Amino acid sequence: MKRIAVVGTIYKYLSHVQHIADRFLVGYPTGGAWHRPDMKVVSLYVDQKPEGDLSGQRASEFGFQVYPTIAQALRCGGDKLSVDAVLIIAEHGDYPRNEKGQILYPRYEFFKACADVFEKDGRAVPVYNDKHLSWSFEKAQWMVAESKRQKFPLLTGSSLPVTWRLPELELPLGCEIEEALIVGNGGSDPMDYHALEAMQCMIERRKGGETGVKHVEMLEGDAVWKAAAAGRWSNQLLQSALSRSDTPQGFSLEDGRTQDLATNGQLPKLVKHPAAYLITHNDGLKTTLLMLTGAIQDFNFAARVKGMGVKSCQFFLSPVPNVTYSACLLSNIERMFETGKTPYPAERTLVVSGMLESCLTSRLQGGKLLETPHLKVRYQAPKESFRPV
Amino acid sequence: MQGFGKISRRELLAGASAVGIASAPQANGQAPFSRPKIAAVTTTFFKYSHTQHIVDRFLEGYGWNGEYHRPPMDLVSLYVDQVGARDLSRDRARRFPSMKICPTIAEALTLGTGKLAVDGIVVVGEHGDYPRNEMGQTKYPRYEFFQEIFKVFRAGGRGVPVFNDKHLSWKWEWAKEIYDTSRELKFPLMAGSSLPVTWRTPSLEMPRDARCTEALCVCYGGVDSYDFHGLETIQCMVERRRGGETGVKSVTAYRGDAFWKACGEGVWPPDLMEAALCRSHMLTPAREGFNDILPTLSDMKRLVKDPVAYRYEHTDGLKSTLLLMSGLVKDFNFAARLDTGLFSTQMYLPMSDGRTTLATFFSPLVNGMERMFLTGKPTYPVERTLLTTGLTEAGVKSLHAKGARMETPHLAFAYRATPDSTFQRS
Repeated sequence: MKRIAVVGTIYKYLSHVQHIADRFLVGYPTGGAWHRPDMKVVSLYVDQKPEGDLSGQRASEFGFQVYPTIAQALRCGGDKLSVDAVLIIAEHGDYPRNEKGQILYPRYEFFKACADVFEKDGRAVPVYNDKHLSWSFEKAQWMVAESKRQKFPLLTGSSLPVTWRLPELELPLGCEIEEALIVGNGGSDPMDYHALEAMQCMIERRKGGETGVKHVEMLEGDAVWKAAAAGRWSNQLLQSALSRSDTPQGFSLEDGRTQDLATNGQLPKLVKHPAAYLITHNDGLKTTLLMLTGAIQDFNFAARVKGMGVKSCQFFLSPVPNVTYSACLLSNIERMFETGKTPYPAERTLVVSGMLESCLTSRLQGGKLLETPHLKVRYQAPKESFRPV
Repeated sequence: MQGFGKISRRELLAGASAVGIASAPQANGQAPFSRPKIAAVTTTFFKYSHTQHIVDRFLEGYGWNGEYHRPPMDLVSLYVDQVGARDLSRDRARRFPSMKICPTIAEALTLGTGKLAVDGIVVVGEHGDYPRNEMGQTKYPRYEFFQEIFKVFRAGGRGVPVFNDKHLSWKWEWAKEIYDTSRELKFPLMAGSSLPVTWRTPSLEMPRDARCTEALCVCYGGVDSYDFHGLETIQCMVERRRGGETGVKSVTAYRGDAFWKACGEGVWPPDLMEAALCRSHMLTPAREGFNDILPTLSDMKRLVKDPVAYRYEHTDGLKSTLLLMSGLVKDFNFAARLDTGLFSTQMYLPMSDGRTTLATFFSPLVNGMERMFLTGKPTYPVERTLLTTGLTEAGVKSLHAKGARMETPHLAFAYRATPDSTFQRS
């Protein structure tokens, strides 16, 4: 039975650690059955123990130890690496923000502490790193390089690429994408990350694969509506994405009516703080993230694909508290721990971590267009799809 | 076949004739295309009522297939039986002057011409203040609405396609009469719930012609209400089994202690119940501090205050079970035992109970109606809903008789599913 170490920021009800680690403890629904991983959580490190901390309770109920350092957790109190896989979950908890508005979660620090143990003990094991790699592209890049140098599988990212899609849209590998757009909602930098990653798992399937990002531009406020009027993104794609939403606000909330938010002029009234993330890839593909908090409450993607027209879907974030989409993520993590093979490349998360950071830098500089020669991340999408069964 | 009544097999098969699901004909210059005129005959019209969800989609359009779709037809008249304090029909009539509010059903259908003047009718007999009978059934006036419609049809010697929201009637004899009249007057009739046509997670269709021995739905809600939706969930799947639907022989209902005893004894298959629960997105955590955990039987007893089961025996031996487990789940989850193994999915309803603002499962329902109004052919067989209407009533009656097994010879009729899937997946 594989032995798992959990390295997290906080272990509280509805925190990412709880969503993910608990599923290794009590199982999770997948494929129409309750699946109990043939793996055991043997050690836990938590960086903070706020009110509502569950780490002690879980440790005593499920028979594992909470250790004061990451190294001790990985060595289970001994002097050699003593686990077969590591979960790094650095979301939630009390951490400062930088001037770009990024929450400085210690993902890099946690990962480095693990990599140091691997190096010292002469053995490396698979690592899952929740969400983006780091708020800093430089650090993120080091993380991916380090996993390659020490030759351990690294799986990263959020649930959105692996959750249900409404409809079950999968773009054919090698398709020619002419333009793509996603609408999202919520705050930066947690929710914009999710939206960008959802878009990335679709566009990476284009002909030639991902080629990296040439430049980015992030607009806010009135500049967003001006850019819309100037045709900086396709209104047809926006309409298609919004047609997938189950949560239009305004009139729909007032009296239940359906509405075409893309054309009825309501968006500027509903969205107090719009944001547009304009990304140009090295192969010329233009993609746009529109954060339309106030207009909708879900994540909807659309792309124009040569020979296929406009294709769109909703990335379905199933309700709290079950958040069954995290069970979809779990089955991918578990498979990676079991096989040592990553179902999708860490470069997806790397390029998204980088484009997000650069967009937020652009925002800090008043929406300036930023060339991003450092984001030369090239990779190919996996052939197989890893959507839920 | 015992209890087959007046319905001939040929008629049933004709009623269930396959309809292509290709996109609706457009006015593309090939042939003159006139927009069908539609009448809506409804009980009441308030925010998030079935009437609002359905009528607004005709008036305002809706997201469909990745576009904002505006139905190629005009909802020209509206009858509302009860205009309450929360009424929206007057607001809609102001905003859409092309839609007239009519004081009678006859007027809504004749538009002042003295004869049938619409090309299709939507009947929405849900919500509103109507009395309940001694068995707890709400006496929604669907049958009464149909009587008014039939008068106009008979007067002109012709009918037009009718869609009826949810079950045909709370009373079997009336549902059967509506069905028989549709055959007599030869007008296309469609009915039912959104459950058969909404998204599924995962997006699975029941394999056609699979052998199926057991089927089950775990859902929530009340008797003579969401039980119907759960039965439509089961029926839209099992009707695809080898041999098609053959009808139902009997029902036994369970409630309270009898439910838990039956559950513990495995009267319905525990593995199917677990498979269905594993499709839920809204499974009440059985333990504080956990967000998603498989409940034990004793957890379920604690969480579900008023459990209800209807267990049916079909004439070909299939057994199907509806479980109403409010407090445990808030969605509709299906599982079946096929010759290929267990099969399960969720019929996903984006409910406008705070989770969404649109109840978008009405979109595939309205789209199905549109197709019938354009083609004159039901998109899926009304016999499904004729059967679930009878299954609901039979379950309620067994419940009222303290769980006595009821023979259902009147439900022993056969029909075939459409070859094509009609649930939302694009």
